[in-house]
Amino acid sequence: MTKSSVSGHTESRDPHVLEWLTGMVSAACVLAMIGWIGVQAIRQRDDAPDLSVRVVRQEARSGGYQVEFEVSNAASATASQVLVRGELLDGDAVVETVETTLDYVPMQSKATGGVIFRHDPAGRTVRIGAVGYTDP
Amino acid sequence: MEASIKDGFDHRRFLTGLARGLAGALLFALPMFLTMEMWDLGFYIDRSRLFLLLLVNIPLLVLLARRIGFERTTTLREAIRDASIAYFLGMISSGLILWAIGVLRWDQSPGEIVGTIAIQSVPASIGALLGRSQLGGPEVGDEEREDDSGRDDGGVETSYAGELFMMAVGALFLCLNVAPTEEMILLSFKMTPWHAIAVILASIALMHGFVYALSFMGGHDLEAGTPGWHALVRFTLPGYLVALAISLYCLWTFHRLDDVATTQAMVTVVVLSLPGAIGAAAARLIL
Repeated sequence: MTKSSVSGHTESRDPHVLEWLTGMVSAACVLAMIGWIGVQAIRQRDDAPDLSVRVVRQEARSGGYQVEFEVSNAASATASQVLVRGELLDGDAVVETVETTLDYVPMQSKATGGVIFRHDPAGRTVRIGAVGYTDP
Repeated sequence: MEASIKDGFDHRRFLTGLARGLAGALLFALPMFLTMEMWDLGFYIDRSRLFLLLLVNIPLLVLLARRIGFERTTTLREAIRDASIAYFLGMISSGLILWAIGVLRWDQSPGEIVGTIAIQSVPASIGALLGRSQLGGPEVGDEEREDDSGRDDGGVETSYAGELFMMAVGALFLCLNVAPTEEMILLSFKMTPWHAIAVILASIALMHGFVYALSFMGGHDLEAGTPGWHALVRFTLPGYLVALAISLYCLWTFHRLDDVATTQAMVTVVVLSLPGAIGAAAARLIL
């Protein structure tokens, strides 16, 4: 309990046991968090982003043929301004190229987006990959 | 003056209270009204998360109104009334300001307009309630203000849960200010885990220092003979945990943790907890 008066607030000397319990639990949680981040700090290496792109879904939409993708970053370094290029291939010939930029792909995390082709990908090959990024 | 008092109701006093509420909403929420990410969030925020935020705001305002209302609040009914007024003032001020600065236009879909106003009305309504307490001067009758937590020898006793609640309000307020901005996640990407640990320790030290070490007005003292670490364990660490929880909730609400790995999310929460912790400490001094 805290007493407030004109001169300020004074914490009482004989607190309820619940206050101590809350304090202990809080201390444990904060220490656990510091421990977790500390382990990551020791284990981290000077890493570069490791990006891989996977097509999640493709379907016809009013604006064209929409291909949704998911970019995963397996490394412990974040990539920003990730440029993703999608190509529509007919045999070896490139029919159409589309690009989009993802703001961030955080470390060991995923980010999703989509590209829109004007030509129908049916019977053709869709190739999607990350072609560039900047360090945040 | 006498003409405005009918049936024991002071109209002028009530209108002053409303004006203070509006002023508070503007003073405390203007930074958010002028943040680009907050406008965009109104469009794309997941509606169930927005709904939850709007619901959570109701008990928060009622509890806050019980401590600092537009009028002298003695009953739960009055607290609910004050909370409703604050929420309404928050909505009105959000709508007016966003319309005045050209963020809201008539040709937008109703969903966008409602979403944008709704998300801004949460900080604005808290601001409206705080406006009453922080902008209001001493008034006749305030001396007789009854506090349900009891009085003895001129002092008010705040329960432990009450202290933690006020810290949560302070943390929520500062977190809402900065959580939507891109800088929070950008900082967490730039920081190494070592930086994060330094920020955790700095947050705890700042929080403790704000309330106990620096002799601000409203600062807390320990009763004579109580070791210093008692306050650290009983108030500062739980307060920091509250700040962490609030910052986690804000980041989740604003889609800043979607598909993000645990450690990265933790670092982002730690970054946001720095303002959160200072907000929590300031709330203990001010409110």
